[in-house]
Amino acid sequence: MMSKTFNRFFRYITFKQFTIFNLLTIILIFIIGVGISIGSFEFSVLKYFNNSLTTLEEEVLMNIRFPRVILAAVVGAALSMSGACLQGLFRNPLADPGLIGVSAGAALGAAFSIAMSAEFFPDFLLTPYLLPFSAILGSAFVISILFIITRGFGFEGMTYMLLAGIAINAFAGVGIGILTYISDDAELRGLTFWTMGSFGGVTWTLIIPAIIIILSTIIWTLRISRKLDLLQLGESEAYRLGVDIKKLRFDIIMSSAIIVGISVSLTGMIGFVGLVVPHLVRLFGGVNHHYLLPCSALTGAILMVSSDLLSRILIQPAELPVGLITSAIGSPFFLWLIFRMRNK
Amino acid sequence: MSIEIKNISYAVKDFEILKEVSLKIKKNEIFSLLGPNGSGKSTLLRIVSGDIQPNFGTVKFDDTMLDKISIIDRARIRSVMSQSQEIIYDFSVKEVIEMGWLEGKEFVTEKFDNALIKVGDECKISHLFDKSFNQLSGGEKRKVHFARTLIQMYNKDFETKSRYIMLDEPTANLDISHELQLIKILKKKSQEGFGIFIILHDLNLAYHFSDKVAFIKKGKIHALGTPNEVYKEEILSDVYDLDVSFDKTIKKISYY
Repeated sequence: MMSKTFNRFFRYITFKQFTIFNLLTIILIFIIGVGISIGSFEFSVLKYFNNSLTTLEEEVLMNIRFPRVILAAVVGAALSMSGACLQGLFRNPLADPGLIGVSAGAALGAAFSIAMSAEFFPDFLLTPYLLPFSAILGSAFVISILFIITRGFGFEGMTYMLLAGIAINAFAGVGIGILTYISDDAELRGLTFWTMGSFGGVTWTLIIPAIIIILSTIIWTLRISRKLDLLQLGESEAYRLGVDIKKLRFDIIMSSAIIVGISVSLTGMIGFVGLVVPHLVRLFGGVNHHYLLPCSALTGAILMVSSDLLSRILIQPAELPVGLITSAIGSPFFLWLIFRMRNK
Repeated sequence: MSIEIKNISYAVKDFEILKEVSLKIKKNEIFSLLGPNGSGKSTLLRIVSGDIQPNFGTVKFDDTMLDKISIIDRARIRSVMSQSQEIIYDFSVKEVIEMGWLEGKEFVTEKFDNALIKVGDECKISHLFDKSFNQLSGGEKRKVHFARTLIQMYNKDFETKSRYIMLDEPTANLDISHELQLIKILKKKSQEGFGIFIILHDLNLAYHFSDKVAFIKKGKIHALGTPNEVYKEEILSDVYDLDVSFDKTIKKISYY
């Protein structure tokens, strides 16, 4: 029995789920390869292997395309992972960092630091890191508020969470609007560039710390898969099975806040990825979090690198905002999801 | 080897739900808690299982205070079956049962597989293992949760330590044959050394299968003892404010 021997090594996932994981890894590597090969400046990436790239080509490959594609992969993984974790924590399939206002909270935090840093932290040493840090604070704040509002509702909490999301999104919009209004010219430029959001123009120095933090948070979060499974029985049942609910809640809120906060601070708001990806992953192979979390991260990375690729090649040499692509895929999917719930 | 509950009082705001409740749940015994709706049965079970803290009084598991036992250690000595909430995502029946398995890091596949076969046979649900939990009937779902409650107590060294199973109306929504099947499993478990603490509504069922019975009314223990000691017409009538008659020859209660 193939599956019996297999289960000896991988306790909580099935052979099918393991196969899906491997397939996704291969697809991700392939799509990253495609992502760095295609762009408005045309040359063959394969020349890299026999060292025949010109200096300009090498510059484009190593310092423009590569960081961009890697950042897209990491942000896609981060948003999807956070979607999967939040859907588990709220026991609610419609939780998505964008939809319920977590990204907007991060955006407000980020905008605050752009528009206010000159007033509060003149020539502060850590200024480049102030932006991601206040974005993290913003998203942690929103998740905590949502949790307080929706606790004790169970399945019908879904409606309240989405309504709260509308309110928080609106509130963050007001906040960003006010900040834009009171900004001076330099701040306004920073804010506008940032709100448009894209993977373009990133540099290694900016994204390496982000990548390290996001990836280590993702790996750290994988440890709580089992507890997230138990949480699906309900909070009191999970508690009776030995899960420290308060700690679990704090862990998920913090990890989601960190990865969403950093992602939003680097790329602006990119919607629907966190909603769509975990659903796709569940449809393919099952709902247990030992499978769901890592495979959501991989699928999210694949989806984001492809969306970024589309955004670059659809109207060459200009670029579409990547959030436009993900929303174009995500919003019909969201409608389909609601439709399916009605029929259930 | 017992759970000792001493002088438990519990109040929410000014409303007293439990007043100085004391009782003892022993190994090898089925202890049934009976009483009208709203008398505080579920609250008492939640206090004994450690979900909530009483305002006064103590709960001791084998001479250790309950609040000195860590959350994970509590899960190893007692399992609780309550009216569960629905599960939103599509877990398989096997996955739901596995959630009760506590070994964690030192997972031994053979041990789990054996325990799974054992609860599958005991609860007669082996044929459901690969089905989706959400597609089961209400009664089947109860049985799966019951299997999960049982397997939680089958982890390592359960023979040497005392284990307790607590159930809040496990037979609600079950037809009479499934009800009897569940109670018989509990009887067997108590003979194997488990202590069983169960809230029941069916007076006849409790009479036939309990080793100890407590009647609780308005948060107070009204009567406590073996079924033969406490099943008296005046006690039963008093607890339920109803004319209850008890036929000693066929050991059957009637109230209509």
